[in-house]
Amino acid sequence: MKPLENRWYPYALLAPAFLVLVVVSLVPFLFAMFLSFHQINFGRIGDFAGWANYSKLMQDERTWNSLWVAAKFILIAFPLQFILGLGGALLLNKRVWGRSVILPLLFIPTMMAPIVVGLLWKVMFAGSWGLLSYNIVERFGFLQGSSVFSSPDYALIALALVDVWQWTPFMMLAFFAGLQALPVSPYRAAAVDGATPLQMFIRLTLPLMAPLMVVIGMLRFIDAFKVFDTIYTLTAGGPGTSTEVPSLLAYRMSFEQWRIGESAAFAVLVWIGFFILCSLFYHVAKKKLNAF
Amino acid sequence: MNQPAMSSPAATQGPIKRISRQERVSVVWTLVLVAIAFIVLFPVLWVGSFMFRPDSAMFARPTEWLFEPTLVHFRYVIENGFIGYLGTSFALASISTFLVVLLGTPAAYAFARFKLRFRDDLFLFVLATRMAPPICMVIPFYMIFSSIGLIDTYFGLTLAYLTFNLSFYIWVMSSFCRDLPVALEEVAILEGHSRFAVFLRVVLPLLRSAIVATGMLCFIFAWNEFMFAFMLGGQQVKTLPVAVPELITTQGVRWGPMAIVGTLSLVPVMIAVFLLQKHIVRGLTMGAVKG
Amino acid sequence: MTTHKTRSKSTLAGLVATAAALCYGTPLQAQEWTYTEAAKPYVGTTIRVLDEITPLQETMRKLVPEFTEMTGIEVEYELLSHGDVINRGQADLFSGRGYYDAVMLHGLQMGPLLSAEVLQPIDDMLHNTALSNPNLGLDDLIEPANDSLVNYAGSQYGFLTWNYNQIYWARADLINNADEQAAFEARYGYPLAPAETMQQMRDIAEFFTRKSGETLAGETLENDFYGIVLEGIPGGTTFTTVWEVFMNNWGGGVFDAAGKPNLDSPENIAALQFWADLWKFAPPGQAEYSLIDVPTVMGNGIAAQSIAFSDFVLGVDRPGGGSYAGKFVYRGIPVNSNSPESRSAGGEPSLMALSKHSKNQEATYLFMQWMVDKDTQAKLMEMGGGGVPIRRSSFDLEAMQEAGRQSLYKAMIQSLKYVQAKPKTPGFYEIDNAMSPLVQQVGIGSMTAEEALKEGQRKVLSICNDCLLTD
Repeated sequence: MKPLENRWYPYALLAPAFLVLVVVSLVPFLFAMFLSFHQINFGRIGDFAGWANYSKLMQDERTWNSLWVAAKFILIAFPLQFILGLGGALLLNKRVWGRSVILPLLFIPTMMAPIVVGLLWKVMFAGSWGLLSYNIVERFGFLQGSSVFSSPDYALIALALVDVWQWTPFMMLAFFAGLQALPVSPYRAAAVDGATPLQMFIRLTLPLMAPLMVVIGMLRFIDAFKVFDTIYTLTAGGPGTSTEVPSLLAYRMSFEQWRIGESAAFAVLVWIGFFILCSLFYHVAKKKLNAF
Repeated sequence: MNQPAMSSPAATQGPIKRISRQERVSVVWTLVLVAIAFIVLFPVLWVGSFMFRPDSAMFARPTEWLFEPTLVHFRYVIENGFIGYLGTSFALASISTFLVVLLGTPAAYAFARFKLRFRDDLFLFVLATRMAPPICMVIPFYMIFSSIGLIDTYFGLTLAYLTFNLSFYIWVMSSFCRDLPVALEEVAILEGHSRFAVFLRVVLPLLRSAIVATGMLCFIFAWNEFMFAFMLGGQQVKTLPVAVPELITTQGVRWGPMAIVGTLSLVPVMIAVFLLQKHIVRGLTMGAVKG
Repeated sequence: MTTHKTRSKSTLAGLVATAAALCYGTPLQAQEWTYTEAAKPYVGTTIRVLDEITPLQETMRKLVPEFTEMTGIEVEYELLSHGDVINRGQADLFSGRGYYDAVMLHGLQMGPLLSAEVLQPIDDMLHNTALSNPNLGLDDLIEPANDSLVNYAGSQYGFLTWNYNQIYWARADLINNADEQAAFEARYGYPLAPAETMQQMRDIAEFFTRKSGETLAGETLENDFYGIVLEGIPGGTTFTTVWEVFMNNWGGGVFDAAGKPNLDSPENIAALQFWADLWKFAPPGQAEYSLIDVPTVMGNGIAAQSIAFSDFVLGVDRPGGGSYAGKFVYRGIPVNSNSPESRSAGGEPSLMALSKHSKNQEATYLFMQWMVDKDTQAKLMEMGGGGVPIRRSSFDLEAMQEAGRQSLYKAMIQSLKYVQAKPKTPGFYEIDNAMSPLVQQVGIGSMTAEEALKEGQRKVLSICNDCLLTD
């Protein structure tokens, strides 16, 4: 007997959201797909172009370079955001004084407009005139003959760390909410059994938090790929193309060069890549972690 | 909602001795958090000082830690209409968040509660709507919007904001919904209430805190959004982030006004987080039911 | 017109002169022409104009109500930042939305926009005596910037409204220091003075590059000091500066006479090498410096010289602009002493162009004309306390006589003699986007000039073979 089961009711709950998603997301996406198969001359839709836009995109080494840069960027930023976010959440979850004040303060980086974040770190690390560049990096002669954001070795790492600064609070807040929602009784039982805090964390907190971690992790992973403003402001993709992430490439392709067909093809390719990755992960996470 | 609020695992150890040890520990942790907050916020504080800094003291070498404060930057901000953009930002972020909550909550609940045909596919579809890079999607949006006259309208931008916020909301909310105790709903149904009445009267109150927390994140995303707001907005609908680049002129960045506008854009969100965090912390209690 | 060696393209200016002469031929009409009269049919029209936000345009914005008062034409004069005015302006024009009646365009945008055929030639209106101010005096506009900018295939596409130009910028207090002068002459064999040639600029850069602890103009340095600062970010105008200020001065350039890519020529390699050698005397963060960082570096006393846009220095070299305000000296872009005949200066002359999709073309034309009108320009200079003129006669205005600015204004005049608009290239942005990371890598030393330009030639050839727009 499952009184809540009903053939149409859940679909009725879904319908409005899906209708909107179809209109605002699917339709523009299909339009982009349409554009990607056409020759577009500065905004004027021309003849059917087959795979021409795709092949031009895939033959361009800048495309592959940008994907590789994004992979490195995410590989540095994402685990740090995740671990620091979780650590911060655990800290906040302790009995601390003034949490109601500290929480909004710690959340500031995520609340800031991304372009302001970029300018903020420029003020900190701009070669020779940035506060920390001048007072620390150059005074003590780190990075001889280079600066944080113009060093081929460190620029990408520095940008990833800026992203960590910006988005760790987001992870922290989400995880904190999750921690607060954990059930109490398993911890009581474990305490009775004499489990250490570390054991409790590994055996209880992690598995119980897994569903939320997976959801937040996937959303952040997708968003980390879209990073734009900070990099545009701080390095514009340089030195060379060593920090040219896909969004930067797409920005130039779309807004400056108006290669709309290729930019649409890029959207489709990125979408397919994400879809495959996320589907795989989704099914694994569902089975192994009981997420979703 | 009237479940005991002692949800935090840390709060479950009883004896008075333990508590006094914990009080001691909490001082340490508080200090650690304050130290972290200071380090994290140092750049913000520094740039915050630009609000009152004369231009000549901003990047002077050696660094001028102390300076004679000035109010000229505030005058510029007020004279150039930035306060009005704040209103637009607020209206837009509020409307779009409201819509997201309205549309997203039933959907998230449905995903969490019911066995649906193609559930996984539908759920992935929701996520898929935010996978295409927005930078590539803005021009297609622009072309569609300009042909149906939606550019520079609240309606158009609200629609565009739904693309990234609705999927986010549904995904996060449905993970909260999964924790709802199904028993309460079943009882209510057996008592003869309609399904929708149960959703409104039983489910929604239980979800209130989760809605507040997730909605707040959506609000922040909408508040800070730039690409769509810039291309699909205009003179009528101009948000604060869109106005910020106007402070980057060929004669350099207007750092003082920039710091003011940046701070100004933080204030409403910070107040919201401060006021709403109780709900987040309490929202946590709903998990206790499950335990 | 004869003072300018632009005979090839001066047909249009000739036409204008003829038109003007014709108007004088009917004195009654000529004397009676006023904006108020000309605007009668358009009273109550609202036009939308998009322009870039700099202090120059902010001053213009204050003047716009005068136009409305005079004509009854409402103007929504929207100002956006440099990148945004390009993004939104191009989106509006390319998509055919037609929201803006006129859009400010940088010369470099002309190739793509003309090729997309979204701009409206203004010749008809220019020759329409009811609309055209007979005393407009277009032959007073700065050449060759104007001529190379607004004309294409025998038509004119708007009016030159802004005249961004690059100049040489140096620290006068250092160059005039007696100790430094003696040391410089002892080392290089000629007296220290603001650079007239590229080679002098290099020597001065080398000379003033000092480590912390060394002495500069009698004071012990707490931090490293640098001989020069240039824009170095991959984007902005990094590559166009290499192109116009260096390659062109070396007798090279991106295209050959037929418009084919010619990047790996010996002249270009030498020019790029010279530019990259200057990086040795530049701050370590140069690779991340954008256009707006350069004035910050100069304004905070970190470097001795720069090549910069002349309107940028106005933000620094003004009362309250910092402790180095008033301590600067300016010159035109230095000449390459090995090929003085191929003299060139960098700049970005920009125009107000009429949108093909505008439904208020005549009213918009009146506004555009008013923007470049002698009176308006005079008021603009007066209100802004100087500025960057688009008319030669503007340099004689009262507002342009401020003693502290004479060095800057003379430098502008010097540069403007050689500032041309970018060639009209549909693939301009693609070329720039391909080249700027390459030249930057030469600057930071991870590529040689030859490698970068070989690679660049290959890339640009894949973008276009005949790169210039031809009628």
